[in-house]
This record gives sequence, C-alpha cells and structure tokens, in this order.
Amino acid sequence: MKFDSVPSGVYPELVYPEYKSTVKRGPLQPLLRLDAALPVSDNIATPSGLVLPGEIDLTRPDGCAGEAIGERIVVTGRVTDEDGKPVRNSLIEVWQCNAAGRYRHKKDQHNAPLDPNFNGWGKMLTDGEGRYRFVTVRPGPYPWGNHHKAFRPAHIHFSLFGNVYAQRLVTQMYFPNDPLFDYDPIFNSVPDAAARQRLVSRFSIEETMHEHLLGYEFDIVLRGRDATPMGL
Amino acid sequence: MTTNSSNESSNESSNESSKITTSQTIGPFSHEAWQWSVDATADVETTAPTVTVRGVIYDGDGTPINDAQLEAWTPHAAQAEAQQAIPGFRRIPSGEAGEFQFRLSRPADAPADAPAAFVTIFARGLVKHQFTAVFLDDAPPSPLLAQVPEERRGTLLARRQPDGSYRWDIRMQGDGETVFFDYT
Repeated sequence: MKFDSVPSGVYPELVYPEYKSTVKRGPLQPLLRLDAALPVSDNIATPSGLVLPGEIDLTRPDGCAGEAIGERIVVTGRVTDEDGKPVRNSLIEVWQCNAAGRYRHKKDQHNAPLDPNFNGWGKMLTDGEGRYRFVTVRPGPYPWGNHHKAFRPAHIHFSLFGNVYAQRLVTQMYFPNDPLFDYDPIFNSVPDAAARQRLVSRFSIEETMHEHLLGYEFDIVLRGRDATPMGL
Repeated sequence: MTTNSSNESSNESSNESSKITTSQTIGPFSHEAWQWSVDATADVETTAPTVTVRGVIYDGDGTPINDAQLEAWTPHAAQAEAQQAIPGFRRIPSGEAGEFQFRLSRPADAPADAPAAFVTIFARGLVKHQFTAVFLDDAPPSPLLAQVPEERRGTLLARRQPDGSYRWDIRMQGDGETVFFDYT
C-alpha cells in the first residue's frame, strides 16, 4: 500500500487555541515522512472472536434488564481506502454518551442522568464490502467547559484499525444540520470546509425502519492507495 | 470557498471515495469503552523473550498527561502472541502521573529495521493521533532510525536501566519533542 501526503487543511490544526487543550499538547515540529515497510504492509490481525453478534446493538446491552432510553437510530456505511477499495474484516469500535448527554465514565461529572440500560460501547467488523452497521440511540449534546456556553454537537466516536497500521484512525461522526457546528472548536479545528463536512452523517430514509428507528449513513475513507502495479 | 462546500460535496460524488476522512480527538472518555473492547492491559501471553519499556508522557509544560491512550504494535511478534486478543498489540491508558508501561515481545528473528514497538498516541487535546516508535538503546543500528535526523534520534531511544527494564519518555511538544511520523 502507498501513502500520499495528506493535502493541507484536511487534518485538524494540532495547535488550535480555541480548543484550549491543544495549546500544550499539539506537536510543533512537522511530521517526519519516512519509509517503513511494516506499517504500510503488515496487517493487524483482529480475530473474528473479538466481536459477538450482540455488540452491534447498543440499545440492548448484555447484562442490562431493559432497553436504552432515547431516539433509536441505525448507523451504517462503507469503509474504503483512497482508491475506493473496501477495507475488509477490520475492527471498528464506537463509543458515545447517552441520550441525556452523559458518558458512562468515572470522570464524567455532567449533571445528567445515567441510563442503567445504556453503556455507550459497541464494536463490529467490516464485511467483505467494507460495510458496517450498528444500532444505538442518538447521543445528546453536553457542556464541556472549554469556553462560555460550550456544548459539543451530538457525536459518536469511531476507532478504525484499517487493514494496515498506518491506516489507523480515530474520528467522530456528527449529525446533519446541528446548530452547534459553528461554535465547536473541535469540529472547526479541521481547516477545510469540505473535510469537515465529511464528518457529518447523512439521514437515510432507506435505512430508516418503520416504527422502529431512524437511519444514518456515514462513509469513511482511510489513507492508503492500492499498490498493485498497473497491468498485473 | 466556505459557501461552496455543500455544492462541492453533492457535485463530486464520483470523487468522494478519494477524499480521506479527517481525524478528531479521542476525548477523555474512551477508557471504559476501549477496555471493554480490547483489554490489552492484562498480562501478556507470549512464547518470545520480553522487555519492559516504561516512561511518562508529558505536555509542552512538562506536565504529565493523565488521560492518554497508548497503543504499541510489534508486528513480528504476532506468532509468539497468538493467544493475545490482538496478537502483537498493546493498548494502555496513561496513569494519574502520566506513567505507562509496556511488556513487549522480542523474537530473535525481528527484521533489522524493526523498532521495539510502533507506538500510537491518543489524548484529549490531541486532535490527530500521532505515530512514533521506540527503539532500545542497546539494539543493533536500525535503518528506520537512521532516517531520523541525528539530533532528534534520542527522543526515540529507550534507555536500559540497572534493573534490566528500559526507560522512554514521550514529550508531545517543545524541548525534546518526540519525533512523530508520517508514512510513505
């Protein structure tokens, strides 16, 4: 696999003072481009046993008595490389707050209720076409103290392994037409407007299930190009 | 340019697949989710000899980062670690004092340019995860390390301690900033 330089503006600004925590944590030196065979050629093996079928439904977590509270949604999409080739059998992890805007995490002090039937964690493998699908509830916005009136737009965290190490990505999926976009420094740390827009899922009436849940599509493109020489 | 963005995205559907998805911060609330998903913090099952690499991750003020997530990948160790959740892979959160510790397999047949581990760093305030690597200071010269400017190579060296473990600190910014990679 081959890795082109990422065009300027596509990745977020590592030091973006509006997002305060970046100021002392974002590296200042440019990245070192280097040749290293293993990160672009060797697969990180994710055994199929890592994922159980129930782990794609966050609304009925294992060990909980009932069903999660909130607006039920399904999120689906394709994971591909830069040439549109599917990223197959790759581990995707998602985590999010509940419908009231609170994470099940010991450090989340937001004064909103925890849902006893919602953990906010899911995992799945992409299929032969690079497709994934999971059911959850729409996460709520929540305050985070970065600035006056700071509320995060509703979002779901995604961790993607890709098929090789250098494709690794952690990102966030947002929801269409969120009024908080213009005020969120994490979303706006990405300089390029089109690249920001690619983080926003699309409402899908096709994926919507009658009297059950609303559908959203979110396609993900990981770095790397097919390295097969032409003519083979 | 900003006002055109919605038109651009709808008119260029044939090119959309070539546009990579940008990264966002992992935030401070990944720990329980990642521990549930891939608990790679437990003791390591491996048939190869191991080394322990420990250190502290610091921000630009020298303050320890207590909410980082570190991943270490040792691809040539996959066979020796067939019993691991993900063979050759570690995932650990930094502790309250920014401390971390990896126990890494060192198979004898590792390639000459292989570091002790390829390392990925995630944290609140880090909007893009960073790729780096750690090398043992008493290992044979690595062609991979040779690509790093000489004056910065020390930031990737884990130094052997009297007890046989290795010490490697990560500095995200400023003096002694760790070298971070982009791959070709």
